[in-house]
Amino acid sequence: MNLRTASETLSFIRELEEKAAKFYEELARRFPENETDFLSFAKENRKFNKQIQMAYQSVITDAIEGCYAFDMETDDYAFDTDLPDNASLAQAAAKALAIEDKILDCYNIGAEQSSSLLADVPRNFRIVSKKRNKRLEKLKSLT
Amino acid sequence: MAVLEEPIKGVPTAMNYIDGEWTESKGEIIDVVNPATYETIGKVGISTKEEIDSAVQAAQEAYYDWRRTPAVVRCRYLYRLRELLEENFEEVSRVQTQEHGKCIDESRGETRRGIENVEVACGIPTLMMGDSSEDIASGIDEYLIRQPLGPFGVIGPFNFPFMIPLWSAPYAVATGNTVIIKPSSEVPFSQTKITELAEEAGFPPGVWNMVHGGRTVVSGMLEHPDIQGITFVGSTPVMEDVIYPGCGNTGKRCIAQGGAANILVIMPDCNVDATIPGLMTSFFGNAGQRCLAGQTLVIVGEDDAFYNEFMEKVTDRAKNIRIGYGLDESVQMGPVRDVKKKESILNYIESGLKEGATLRLDGRQAREIVGGYPDTCYLGPTIMENVSREMRVVREEIFGPTMGIMRVKTLEDAIEVCNESPYHNGHAIFTSNGKYARQFQYDVISGNVGINIGIVAPMAFFPFSGMAGSFLGVLHTQGKEAVRFFTESKVCIHRWL
Repeated sequence: MNLRTASETLSFIRELEEKAAKFYEELARRFPENETDFLSFAKENRKFNKQIQMAYQSVITDAIEGCYAFDMETDDYAFDTDLPDNASLAQAAAKALAIEDKILDCYNIGAEQSSSLLADVPRNFRIVSKKRNKRLEKLKSLT
Repeated sequence: MAVLEEPIKGVPTAMNYIDGEWTESKGEIIDVVNPATYETIGKVGISTKEEIDSAVQAAQEAYYDWRRTPAVVRCRYLYRLRELLEENFEEVSRVQTQEHGKCIDESRGETRRGIENVEVACGIPTLMMGDSSEDIASGIDEYLIRQPLGPFGVIGPFNFPFMIPLWSAPYAVATGNTVIIKPSSEVPFSQTKITELAEEAGFPPGVWNMVHGGRTVVSGMLEHPDIQGITFVGSTPVMEDVIYPGCGNTGKRCIAQGGAANILVIMPDCNVDATIPGLMTSFFGNAGQRCLAGQTLVIVGEDDAFYNEFMEKVTDRAKNIRIGYGLDESVQMGPVRDVKKKESILNYIESGLKEGATLRLDGRQAREIVGGYPDTCYLGPTIMENVSREMRVVREEIFGPTMGIMRVKTLEDAIEVCNESPYHNGHAIFTSNGKYARQFQYDVISGNVGINIGIVAPMAFFPFSGMAGSFLGVLHTQGKEAVRFFTESKVCIHRWL
């Protein structure tokens, strides 16, 4: 599906973040020794959603091209969260990294497409991307 | 993506709010129709002279105590209103889409712009401060204080049912006046929602009033001696023939904002890819029903290769715009507000063709409506080439999703086209050359000037500065000018003997 408007793109991103948050909660359940990290990732995803929503609602004014800011295909950023019952921590972390890659792509391409059109929204996309660096390092250390 | 839930349910009747009481109008009750689905979503009364008179009386009675309420206290009501608007941000945005037809992104933008005016008005203790000079002569001091005047009328249009009354009402009450808002009877529910929140914020009875209706309410406001001033946004004929002379006849203050036929100038050095989304928003956003919408695109230069490539990109983008119900998040352009307006737009397109314009993109019938809704109020984007400055499609306000294309040789020619227009609301230029931008800004007659911005909508802390044809009055809505409009300057000179 092709995304063009800010509203549908942000709804899509919210869904990605929430889906990933639930995945991290599942990992926390499966791997109690890393529960703190995984739960903190889930919590952070929801904070990112609030941050982006706030940026959108704060700047989406009549002067800004909210209906014409994006041209993204949802398939390019889709991911599944299926994990075999006997998956190891390393396999789970690898899966999480693959998910993070998709989400990062979505933010980075979204930021590029809307950079001159949606003011604070692309700026916050970039902030969220940057803030994920720490978790990427952590996930890499688990693979 | 999802179709968002409709907030207006069960065909409610929009009530008047007078002296802190909700009452159904005694006048004729008419239907409110959602133009996207063509379903009746509610009803509204066309209020009588007695009803507007009773609102003015309530506003006049409330004024005595309200003006004595300290400015910092008056602001606290506005802070509360602001918080309530934020809490209800999504609902009020969806109400706009449901009753007007605009896309949800556009409605949220409108909500934000409205709230920003409440926020600016919260600064009234500072904004309303006067001036003073000590020793204008030895032992004599002089100072200026700003005082409120009494009840004001706020007459809103159909195209921005939420935001436009907020260009005035928060400043009016913050400065110690009282208000009576008359929303457009086509879209009464956005203001009804705001008024519900104003009630919840605790404004004393009679400070914030709302009366639905039409001409009778407008005449009642214009003729009533207790109304101190009117702010109006609507069509130029009503502005020129009714509002401005009506205020003049009774000595009222007046801010009258009318129509427009804005011209956007394209220089060949513009950043084409960044410009095109701006053009789509400007010409086709809100289905073209904006007084800041682009109507004519003037392309400068004789470079046919640039023209052809540019127009190909513009046309390609326009013809792929998703049309449908604005509560569907994927929709980029909603319907026009009603059948009459659609007919008027179609007539303008016909007149353009008769006068020699040619269709590059024919939007007289919407190509495909997402969700399969009846096409009663829908149009597609229309692009007409070979328009010229004397054509009606350039000189008159169309207020629909049309783009007329005109070619001129030089920037000076383009500025001349802008300045010959009977309207001077929001002309704009797209260029990467600072010299062109400055020349345009300097020479163009336009209350709001855009440089690489297609919708030149001033923020709440700047005035909405229309000029001739688009505006009658002196001061404008929003920001400091609104504060001046809603207050009288009183100069005091003191000598203590």
